[in-house]
Amino acid sequence: MSSDVIDEVPPAAPAEPKPFFSRSSGKILVIWLVMTAIGVVISLVAPHHLMPSMISEQGNTAIKTVVLFSVLAAPVAALVYAIATYSLLAWRRGSQETPPEDGPPLRGNTPLTIVWLIVTSFLCIVLLVWGLAELSAEAASHPGALQVDVTGQQWVWTYSYPGTGVESRTLVLPLGRPVQFNVTSEDVTHGFWSMALGVQVDANPNVVTTLQATPNKLGNFTIRCSQVCGIYHAFMYSPGEVVTTAQFAAWLRSQGASATAAVRVARAGS
Amino acid sequence: MSTAVTPHLLEDTPLPPSAGGIYRRQNLLTALVTGVGLAFVGWLVSHAVLQGSHWGTDMVVTVTMACWVVGFNLGIGTFNAPIRWLAGHDQSDADLLYAAGVGQGARRYWKFCTDHKVVGTQYLVLVLILFFAGGGIAMMIRTQLITPHSSFMSPQTYNTLVTVHGTAMIVATIIMVTGPFTNFIMPIMIGAKDMAFPRLNAASFWVVVSAVPCLLAVFFLGGVNAGWTTYAPLSNQDPVAMDTFALTILTFVTSVTLAGVNIIVTMVTMRVKGMTPGRLPIFAWGSVIGSALGLYAMPAFFLAMVYMIVDRTTGSSFYVAAQGGTGWLYENVFWIMGHPEVYVILIPPVAAMLEVASTFARKPLFGYFVVLGAFVAIVGLSIMVWAHHMFTTGFAPDLNGPFMLTTELISIPTGLLFLCIVGTLWKGSIWTRLPMYFVYLFLWNFIIGGVTGIYLSDVPADEAFHNGMFVTAHFHYTLLGGAMIAAVAALCYWFPKVTGRMLNERIGKTAFWIIAVSFQVTYLGMFWEGLQGMPRRVAYYDPIFEHANQMATVGAYFLMLGFLVLLYDIIHSWRNGAQAPANPWRAKSLEWKVPTPVPLENFLVEPVVTADPYGYGEPSQPSQPAPAPAPAPALASAGTDEGPAPGGGEVR
Repeated sequence: MSSDVIDEVPPAAPAEPKPFFSRSSGKILVIWLVMTAIGVVISLVAPHHLMPSMISEQGNTAIKTVVLFSVLAAPVAALVYAIATYSLLAWRRGSQETPPEDGPPLRGNTPLTIVWLIVTSFLCIVLLVWGLAELSAEAASHPGALQVDVTGQQWVWTYSYPGTGVESRTLVLPLGRPVQFNVTSEDVTHGFWSMALGVQVDANPNVVTTLQATPNKLGNFTIRCSQVCGIYHAFMYSPGEVVTTAQFAAWLRSQGASATAAVRVARAGS
Repeated sequence: MSTAVTPHLLEDTPLPPSAGGIYRRQNLLTALVTGVGLAFVGWLVSHAVLQGSHWGTDMVVTVTMACWVVGFNLGIGTFNAPIRWLAGHDQSDADLLYAAGVGQGARRYWKFCTDHKVVGTQYLVLVLILFFAGGGIAMMIRTQLITPHSSFMSPQTYNTLVTVHGTAMIVATIIMVTGPFTNFIMPIMIGAKDMAFPRLNAASFWVVVSAVPCLLAVFFLGGVNAGWTTYAPLSNQDPVAMDTFALTILTFVTSVTLAGVNIIVTMVTMRVKGMTPGRLPIFAWGSVIGSALGLYAMPAFFLAMVYMIVDRTTGSSFYVAAQGGTGWLYENVFWIMGHPEVYVILIPPVAAMLEVASTFARKPLFGYFVVLGAFVAIVGLSIMVWAHHMFTTGFAPDLNGPFMLTTELISIPTGLLFLCIVGTLWKGSIWTRLPMYFVYLFLWNFIIGGVTGIYLSDVPADEAFHNGMFVTAHFHYTLLGGAMIAAVAALCYWFPKVTGRMLNERIGKTAFWIIAVSFQVTYLGMFWEGLQGMPRRVAYYDPIFEHANQMATVGAYFLMLGFLVLLYDIIHSWRNGAQAPANPWRAKSLEWKVPTPVPLENFLVEPVVTADPYGYGEPSQPSQPAPAPAPAPALASAGTDEGPAPGGGEVR
């Protein structure tokens, strides 16, 4: 309202002190609960439905993380949406030329802010603890891991299995055995990425980056280059397959490995 | 500006014919001619000197484009004042008035004009051009992706379009609010006559204009494959287009730095009496905080590109792995810019949107100091999170945990912003005019953008999504659906003040609904692509992604349609709209207390501020009578909420 001395309109009567929360809070609570329920259902169903079927523990971790974070976020998002929705249902005053009378002069609410801060901080800590736990599980080293050297170049991936002399354009992995990928590049930066396997690391020239995964399901998957690497970046993908240990040894032999090398590499650590 | 001139005579001041000196002969045309001319000279000389040398072509292109930038600014008048100062005779009052656009009518929009309102309007037009150019490129990208193996364009063209789309949009979003609205509105908000450094202000605009042809040149010099992030070593392989790309960035960063310094100094030194820091409109704070963060972030981009140019033109090896360099250096320096930069983009529009929310809920801003604290916390954290863009590069696996921590901590101050927006709506008298529509759309989109960002902060999940379309969808939800929609709210809000016309609400609301719905279709489709595992920046894809891509493409066409309707509304209303009153929204901040169109130097009588601009619903404070009645119609006073009123007064 105006404070000007020449203003003819008498100033509005001071608003009666009203409680910050009121009956509208109950209705908002209902909208919030409904929206939260919808959000939780979507969180539980959508990731499993939309993401590829995972074939490693690391891949499962990604889905579990998406589900958990969505479930945690659902009530927070639903609260904002519920209040926004309710404000349009109950507090809308139309779009006429002149503004409606002023709303109550609420300039803040310290207890509410503190509660909000505590709740969001708590949620943030949950996220962090979860993330660190998963990260340390991933970082745990597996001494008997199968070594696979991955080399990116414009625009193909080459997989070689040290000790066997096998080089392949197809990534074949035995079921249930930790694998260590030693990733490098011959030219520019590429991205070694398989969503189903839950792994991604860049292939950099002159450097070897490593990461591990443990396939836990038989099946096919695709490795796609994730880092733009030139004109034919889109064509830089290769097929992958998880097979049994016996099939893996047979495959190594079919690729030219000696019988002893194939058996030694396929069975080591298992 | 001279203070010797009587303020209210400014615009009518008859200037001697010599006023302005060389400014009289300078405009966009002379700038283009000088720029092209100097570029040609630069090409001739560098070509003659460097012909045949190993790195010659890159050097020639770099020198030529640098000459273009310098020549263009020479021709428009950026260097007039420094040259005259160096020559020992500064500009006269008449020169300054001429440079501020006095007596030039609409021609001043094509010239080096120091009036902050002219600069703001120039920025607004430039931003619109950049957005629609970038949007047009997006349509071509989406058209290519409508089928898995489209022959619509070659992969080389596709990659270049992706690069230019990203760069044009990043450039445009960085300046979309601080360019038009901080320049036009913020000085009036704080009671200033102009920015602290009006010539620097005009320079910041014309420097960024000179960067645009450098970016366009990318199309004619072989293209850039590497995306807007231009990771080395791939960008080292790119043709000479990469040199002009790097010069685009150098020029743009120069502009942003000039603008940022100016905005900060203006806020610190130019506030009118009574405009204490606690009474500053939150938009002024947002502009300053965003600009300050830009001053930290953008020089890193400059540095990354300097190394790039030196590598390319002299054969040094900052980024060349074979000679001991590393692409990780580029990636780190780039993201030291890159993550703070998203908050450089985000904070000013969010602050502007908070003004809109308060005005159209007819309530004070909820938690003024909470917002301020959240902004500062975001700034502080944002400079410590850059390596979350590098979780999957392998450069420092042991740092993944710490960077995950800092990244997730940002969700706390961001959550406080949501509390304050929702708190401002709480029990408000929601006045559903057009700007308020976009506030609600912001809330919807930014929640989705924020939540999906949390997945990406988690390292194991990031390994599934990084460099995929999930990330693309996420940052479009935050930067387009969040920041840019907030900027549209700001545009609708300040349109009457900037153009003097009312924005047509019927057309605007049609545009709103098309944008709101098609945005969800487009980017939920893109999330779907990402969840399935489709990589970014691919011209072709596995047919398993086809349905998701078709959804995104159809949505994108309608999204463009929505923005075109909005553009039509802007142009139509600017030309034919109803005359805007000084204060159509009955808002309380100072820019609504000056007449429309805003006179040169804004205030004929300096206002005195006694309260912040959020006193909705609060009983009037007894105000002192006006010290002296002033005759001018264009008086800045608290007045009624109707706008300027006779009689000096206090502003609250």
